[in-house]
Amino acid sequence: MYTSLTNRRKFIKKMAMLSAMTAAATMFPGILFADEQEKGLPDGDINWTKAPCRFCGVGCGVLVGTENGKAVAVKGDPKSTVNKGLLCVKGYHQIMCLQAKDRLTHALVKKNGTYVQTPIQEALDLVASKMKETIEKHGKDAVAMYTSGQSTIPEGYVASKFMKGAIGTNNLDCNARLCMASAVTGFLTSFGADEPMGCYEDIDHADVFVLWGNNMAEMHPVLFSRMLEQKNRRGAKIIDFATRTTRTSMAADKSILFKPQSDLAVANAICYEIIKNGWVNTSFVEKHCSFNKGLTNMGYGLEDNYKFKDKPEKIDFKAYKKFLEDYTPEKVEKISGVSVKDIKYMAAYFGDPNKKVVSYWCMGINQHTRGTWMNNLVYNIHLLTGKISQPGNGPFSLTGQPSACGTAREVGTFTHKLPKGVVTNEKHRRLAAKIWKVPYERIPSKPTYHATEMFRAVDRGEIKFIWTQVTNPLVSLPKTSRYRPGMEKDSCFVVVSDVFPTPTSDVADVILPASWHIEKSGLYGNSERRTQHWDKMVEGPGETTPDAWMTIEVAKRMGFGDLFPYSEENHVEEIYNEYRQFHEGDKHGMAPLEVLKSQPGAIWPYVNGKSTQWRFNAKYDPACSNNEDFHFYGKPDGRAVIWQRPYEPAPEEPDNEYPFWLNTGRVIEHWHTGSMTRRIPVLHKAMPNAYVELHPKDAERLQIKNGDKVKLITRRGEIIMPASVNQRGIPTPLQVFVPFFDENMLINDLTLDSFCPISKEPDYKKCAVRVEKV
Amino acid sequence: MKRLGIISLFVLLFIAFITIWNYSYQTGLKDAYIPLENEISSPKIPSEAGVFQRSEYAFDYVNMPVDEKHQRTLETYYDNRAYHGAPPSIPHPVKQEMSMGGNTCLQCHQNGGFVQKFNAYAPVTPHPEMINCRQCHVTQNTETFFTETSFVKVHAPTAGIHNALPGSPPMIPHSIQMRENCLSCHAGPAAPKEIRVTHPERINCRQCHVPNAIEYSEKSVFSRNNN
Repeated sequence: MYTSLTNRRKFIKKMAMLSAMTAAATMFPGILFADEQEKGLPDGDINWTKAPCRFCGVGCGVLVGTENGKAVAVKGDPKSTVNKGLLCVKGYHQIMCLQAKDRLTHALVKKNGTYVQTPIQEALDLVASKMKETIEKHGKDAVAMYTSGQSTIPEGYVASKFMKGAIGTNNLDCNARLCMASAVTGFLTSFGADEPMGCYEDIDHADVFVLWGNNMAEMHPVLFSRMLEQKNRRGAKIIDFATRTTRTSMAADKSILFKPQSDLAVANAICYEIIKNGWVNTSFVEKHCSFNKGLTNMGYGLEDNYKFKDKPEKIDFKAYKKFLEDYTPEKVEKISGVSVKDIKYMAAYFGDPNKKVVSYWCMGINQHTRGTWMNNLVYNIHLLTGKISQPGNGPFSLTGQPSACGTAREVGTFTHKLPKGVVTNEKHRRLAAKIWKVPYERIPSKPTYHATEMFRAVDRGEIKFIWTQVTNPLVSLPKTSRYRPGMEKDSCFVVVSDVFPTPTSDVADVILPASWHIEKSGLYGNSERRTQHWDKMVEGPGETTPDAWMTIEVAKRMGFGDLFPYSEENHVEEIYNEYRQFHEGDKHGMAPLEVLKSQPGAIWPYVNGKSTQWRFNAKYDPACSNNEDFHFYGKPDGRAVIWQRPYEPAPEEPDNEYPFWLNTGRVIEHWHTGSMTRRIPVLHKAMPNAYVELHPKDAERLQIKNGDKVKLITRRGEIIMPASVNQRGIPTPLQVFVPFFDENMLINDLTLDSFCPISKEPDYKKCAVRVEKV
Repeated sequence: MKRLGIISLFVLLFIAFITIWNYSYQTGLKDAYIPLENEISSPKIPSEAGVFQRSEYAFDYVNMPVDEKHQRTLETYYDNRAYHGAPPSIPHPVKQEMSMGGNTCLQCHQNGGFVQKFNAYAPVTPHPEMINCRQCHVTQNTETFFTETSFVKVHAPTAGIHNALPGSPPMIPHSIQMRENCLSCHAGPAAPKEIRVTHPERINCRQCHVPNAIEYSEKSVFSRNNN
């Protein structure tokens, strides 16, 4: 069992109080959850401090209870408008990972094949000298940094300043490339401005929720509970459009299953129906939209050094209408397996002017070799019907990581990004150089490696030094069967900063002990553009150090001290205030730190002391300046773009030799690669290992029972794992699903490293696999 | 000659009829043949669907006042079972020995409610789809034993001790097979008072409460395979 956090007597005392309160609470059912949480807990000597949750992109407000310098409890923050006091099982138990026995407390340096505990100052000396030496010998582009959508805003900011401003290389990318890149390119191509226009309050207004390949009951449970509440209270409808029957399907009003990759066709069919039935909001489209088409047959990025650049071309409504004739519901039924009736059913909700519709999606659409297209297609539906940027109406792209928006996208820890804009734009480079106080010529204008290509470059021997922070790529990358041997090669010096040992730290030359969440101060930005701040609450063990401070220390040792004049105690605040300058103005203004400290976050654009909940809508967004109801100011002509994007097949579809689709994903108990959640006994006991889900009919045909050992074989590798039949989820026939959290059953050794040519985000949801009973 | 003309006209007409009829028959066949791809039907997942089964009553449970005089306790709940997890026996007389559950038992046990005769609230069954109730649930018609037994009741979990942290949501201390529907036992006037949930309106129960399934996993603590 878990170890007790306080001494036994206190614990019993607390439990007694708690059970007394529980008993009292049972006498008054219907008591408000938030109130009950505020009043009904052992408050005595526990000190409650606010923070955003460490895990997913929803960004729930939590209150962490500390006592005698130790974190002892977690509750939902009733003041947070995100979760209103409710959390999920991961959130409630998050602090328990801190007690794991194998915590990395000191720096470890590999000497003659074994790890030697080393004083952190010495380890940082080594990292800096290795980095310097590599640059001198092989050039700036031989060193790389790979960070995370879980890095705090200051961590991402100093990483960007260090790599792009100090060293002068664009070799910086992050794991958000694996989850949000298609959402970003989707927003940029359709609207010219990243991140959703709406906010979570949409849930309280919408009549219909369409979930596109998104198992929200497990992946965004707190938002899903808000939706369920609206379903129960107001009769709001939930439509689950997916390739797998899940807990979400069970709670939804309607579950519609489609064949992998055919979502492209179905989305186009919905647009076809909307136009055919005259449901187009003509005045909205005429005033605020334009039509584009791009290149097709882009390829899938399977080969090294793959390059692609889209060529947008203006078209008119007539041409777009003509294009859609290939996507009548009857034709699409044959591609997708979705009945004509169901296609018309979905289209009718979008088309009904009296129904408010919100679309939600996450990895189903983003981890897609046509992910950017799929994002565009959902926007098309909302733009054609004018259901966008209004309370209860809009497309909403959810995120998976707590600061995928705040750090990866807004600070810009991608190879092509700067804290404002992109490296290819001279104006943006000049702004960055000015704020960073570096010569403008130092920031290179050409992007280098995106995540997958970065690890290919490590394998090829081009990158000779890589530093990963807050991420576990050797579990989370696709086709790790190539990238693990690549990282193990002597040609590359690997530095891994982490809190716990992982398969990635196993191949490191230096392991740096990082501070966990509440052992440092920081800021995260969630899916609804909400920036949240937290203060350090407990001391980390041993020589653990915040990632931002380790980056700064290495930068200082490399002679860039003048660019990082921050103090160790106050660096978070100093860095945030410097970073805020990038986003000044009413299109992206960030709330001042005092505001973020006093409340559970604020939504940007934060203008004149107010969060902007709905962007592009003149009623709410002060940045709208065209005197119309809506202004898509991200595009020079103020118009959002409706894209002509066709259906194209996946790069590796099932055939006779590999007859099944392989789909991967998460479970509610574990978060991503499980390095934290598996060390929380409650979660480990509930979900101790990975499994392969089969459709009951497939299982019957192969004579596989629940729990039987099954071998999965793809062109990249094979693995044996227990079967799961009729348990947590049921994939469509001839598809299998495997969660990827289990480092002892690395499913990503088998996945394909194909990606969306526009966003460079890999597709973890589709490749061909053979299933054999062992 | 005239006759020949008439015959050949009819022959021509007949041939024309045959060709046209054949042609239209063939095209009709072609039209009728649309290679139908089977629509994928949406299966049910028993263990997942159950959680949401009574959710339409969630708000009724919120608004229901507590009838303190007629509350069940966890003690009587367990008393009525041979061991923790066993099907409860029927603690009241049964009128019709021969009827199926749909006609009798479910009248009270599907949705619950106060039963004057027994001065108690009828517990709600978590599996109303199974109507041969008395396959598992039997009455107790005698207090005596055939022979003495040394059977010992398995220790049943008590309420209020399943939190990992002070105030964190308790884990599920029991198997959920046949009991996937949480609200049936944890909400409403028939729920044992110790386990009645304070927030029945939150219906995605397993968002916060996960099984403490020690029996399924050998190791209760995660340890790495390598190193």
